[in-house]
Amino acid sequence: MEDKIQGRIYKFGDNVNSDIIIAGRYLIYIDPVQLAEHAFEMLGEGFPAKLRSFDILVAGRNFGCGSAREQASTAIKGLGIKAVVAASFARTFYRNAINDALPIVECPALYEAVAEGDQISIDLARGVVSHAGSEYGFPGIPESVGKILKLGGLANYLKSTLET
Amino acid sequence: MNMVEKILARKSGQQSVAPGDVVVTDIDLMVMHDLSANFVMKVFNNEMENASIADPSKLVFAFDHNFAPATREAAEALAAVRRFAAKHKVQHLFDGGCGSIHHCIMEAGLVAPGMIVIGCDSHTPIYGALGAFATGVGNNSMAALGFAHSKGWFKVPETIKIHFHGTPMQAVGARDVSQYLVGHLGEDGAIYQALEYAGPYIQSLDVNDRSLFPLQAIDVGGKCGFVNPDEKTIRYARELLGDGPAAARLEFFQNDADVRYAQVIDIDVSKIEPQVACPPTVGNVKPIDAAVGTPIDVAEAGGSTGGRLSDIRTLARCFANRKVHPGVRLQVVPASRGIYLAALREGLFETLHVAGANIFPPSAGSNQAFNMGALAEDEVMISTQARNFPGRNGHPKARHFLASALTVAASALTGKIADPRTLEVQ
Amino acid sequence: MSQTIAEKILAAKSGESRVSPGQIVDAYPDLVMSHTATWRSVSVMKKIGARKLYDPKRLAIVLDHISPAKTEKYAADQQTSRNFAREYGIERFYDVDAGIAHLVLMEHGHVKPGDLIVGTDSHCTIYGALGALGSGIGYTEVASVWVTGKLWMKVPTTIKLTLNGRFAAGVSAKDLMLHLIGTLGADGCGYKSVEFYGSALPQMSISERMTMANLAMEMGSKCVFIPPDEKTREWLLPRLKDSSTYEPVYADKDALYERSLDIDLAALTPMVACPHQVENTKPVTEVLGTRIDQAFLGSCANGKYEDLVIAARILKGQKIDPRVRLIVTPGSKQIMLEAMRTGILATLMESGALVTNPGCGACAGDGGMLADGEVSLSTANRNFVGRMGSNKSSIYLSSPATLAASALKGVIADPREFY
Repeated sequence: MEDKIQGRIYKFGDNVNSDIIIAGRYLIYIDPVQLAEHAFEMLGEGFPAKLRSFDILVAGRNFGCGSAREQASTAIKGLGIKAVVAASFARTFYRNAINDALPIVECPALYEAVAEGDQISIDLARGVVSHAGSEYGFPGIPESVGKILKLGGLANYLKSTLET
Repeated sequence: MNMVEKILARKSGQQSVAPGDVVVTDIDLMVMHDLSANFVMKVFNNEMENASIADPSKLVFAFDHNFAPATREAAEALAAVRRFAAKHKVQHLFDGGCGSIHHCIMEAGLVAPGMIVIGCDSHTPIYGALGAFATGVGNNSMAALGFAHSKGWFKVPETIKIHFHGTPMQAVGARDVSQYLVGHLGEDGAIYQALEYAGPYIQSLDVNDRSLFPLQAIDVGGKCGFVNPDEKTIRYARELLGDGPAAARLEFFQNDADVRYAQVIDIDVSKIEPQVACPPTVGNVKPIDAAVGTPIDVAEAGGSTGGRLSDIRTLARCFANRKVHPGVRLQVVPASRGIYLAALREGLFETLHVAGANIFPPSAGSNQAFNMGALAEDEVMISTQARNFPGRNGHPKARHFLASALTVAASALTGKIADPRTLEVQ
Repeated sequence: MSQTIAEKILAAKSGESRVSPGQIVDAYPDLVMSHTATWRSVSVMKKIGARKLYDPKRLAIVLDHISPAKTEKYAADQQTSRNFAREYGIERFYDVDAGIAHLVLMEHGHVKPGDLIVGTDSHCTIYGALGALGSGIGYTEVASVWVTGKLWMKVPTTIKLTLNGRFAAGVSAKDLMLHLIGTLGADGCGYKSVEFYGSALPQMSISERMTMANLAMEMGSKCVFIPPDEKTREWLLPRLKDSSTYEPVYADKDALYERSLDIDLAALTPMVACPHQVENTKPVTEVLGTRIDQAFLGSCANGKYEDLVIAARILKGQKIDPRVRLIVTPGSKQIMLEAMRTGILATLMESGALVTNPGCGACAGDGGMLADGEVSLSTANRNFVGRMGSNKSSIYLSSPATLAASALKGVIADPREFY
């Protein structure tokens, strides 16, 4: 998994919930590509198509709140999104993102600073996000948990532990 | 003239009609379920600009395939029909959960003997058991003639009479006899013809059971089916209609003594065994032996042929102090709200529920799998539904057998398609 | 000493003598539940090549969200779940006819105080009504728990909520929770445990406690506890296979709480959550007269027998407004049976309701879908955009009493006039 992630950001507000990210009727899918076709569909016209030209999502508080549906992070990955930076994450989304190997960064200060289309650069190793010449620190994921992310998600992590 | 000819003559303002005549008649009632109402509405809106409905009081919409729409598309379709009904002042709209269309409509007292009823539903002929001339029509005729002019055109059909006699063997009921007839005549056995169900056996049945015969007229290509109105019909109709809106329309037309038939078929019901329609079609009817032993996943008693109070009582009798086989999901779908309430009050639902069955809202049940009834590739269902074509209930390779409520009960008990004659309790 | 309930349970399940907030432990759940999502966890197991379960006796599977199948895909997925249960001899398997997973599992005595329960559903917090620690996780993680028996958990801080006084007539636990969610916000208890106390608690029925523990999820709670008392014991003991396993866990008197809040129940009024967030709450008086097309009585929040009784009392002998479609979905087979026996079901049907088979029903879009512009009132726990159909439809959340009053009037109405 990449230690440095960069790209154009799309900005969401607070409380972007699980049903907005992927509606219940699409939970029949687990494939990221199929899910991505319906990601954020509930927001209406232009979604999800418009998100495909962005690399990173930046959101306010409580991103991914609501259901424990794992497909929320899978759908975002399927869109080609490389990371999600939020002021805070709902705990179920946080866990599922790690299990899905979708890098997540908790950084309220960045949320305040950016606008749609801005370029940012995330250094996962140093725990720093760069934007317009400024650097914002973010807490690292605890090592015991982070190793899941590093090994490409929980399924891969499990597989490797079973093989040993 | 027979009953059908008399009605057609009366409603087209003629002294008499004969098979082959084309007549234009007034229509008394036009019935559509949630799917057909949507189609007819589209024809009316898109192809008949500025048209208006001649007499909205003759239209009936009954949402039965969807009891609570399971997709956004279905929700939009129902909403569109509701808007249409409101705009055109259609008062008879029965929303989801009203029952199986024809039972809902009969229970509402809207069909009277002597009426002409057309419906965009192939099972509309059921009202022939009530002494009405009832037949299915296409969406275009319904919109263009029915909606716009309250009229219909018909070619007077020839009539085949089926004379049923004898006493059925144990565990064989009207449903089996009706299915047997379909197998016997074949799916093209009565094309465009009217079928008259007659004979001492038919006379011995109540109207509720007689209705199973015209219900299947379509399965042999028939235009309509009827039972010559008798004392039972009269009593049943009077009770059904009470003081309601259709009571005043009540008119009994009975066959003249000298009616002629294109064909008279004799059926000795004492020789009929419990029947089953095997995949892939409703006409593939065989004695139950052909399917006995087939493991099942789902059993359903519902709709016009298995959701009547008599059927639910039958099921409850079978399952008093017994359990549904653990590998089977038994679904009970009452045919109307009145039946649901009566079954509740009689404790039938409690018995079935305790036995392991699941009770569903009054509706068409698994018919075309809108709210329920989708099967996986290797699953098997036995039901009292009207059709079993591949793909109608989920995977095209899933197998769907059609039988009587008693046979469904026996199968739900053993986990395999079973001969109801082996059941101890009837 | 000075441990909260969550701290005690997580310590016990991870083999630690004591733990503190922020600490990450490897915990072994007593129960790992999965619902209609089970097939996904099965596919993960296949993908990683795992064959053996850590302990089949710790699994529970209830097919509740889509019951029964209405497409071939749902039918196939349900079959996958069924086959898995059969192959591994999962005793606690409940098929599409059983009802809502959480209610079924509690009814059948599979949840007891002090248990650690995880599952493929965020409303696992509901188990806190019986003093168990319940928390939702994704389907891959469920597969992981199936195979390894454990998962990492971060010990939460705890918020203490003290309830005093009594509800005014027409006001109930749902209104309390909507008030709390509106006050604290959708992430007001994010990552935290919540413990309920106060003089009001002993009077609250198990059904009300379930509503509370269920809705607590909508404040972001990791888990929630209503400490077991006589009522809990009375309700649960007859359902447990082995009553000697009833061992409630209580917080120490000197347990440390991050925050304490006091709520006077008497000051509460009927509330609704307005479109399209649960935290968008208002007193019902501010939305009176809002036209509704549909009213849904059901869900793990308010589909319990007591909730049906509350609604039936208001609807008895009356007919709902002809413009409203009232859908009633009993939360479980047991609940439906009781409603049959006591005449509650008949009352609801006679008022014009559509009574469905038990399950999650319209809450999660299984039936009851809405068209563009339609409005539904619902006793469920979420009103997110498009959840019940069109993204141009709206959902208001309320208590069963408010729902019944509104179904009668055809618009959102104040239930207090029926008390």
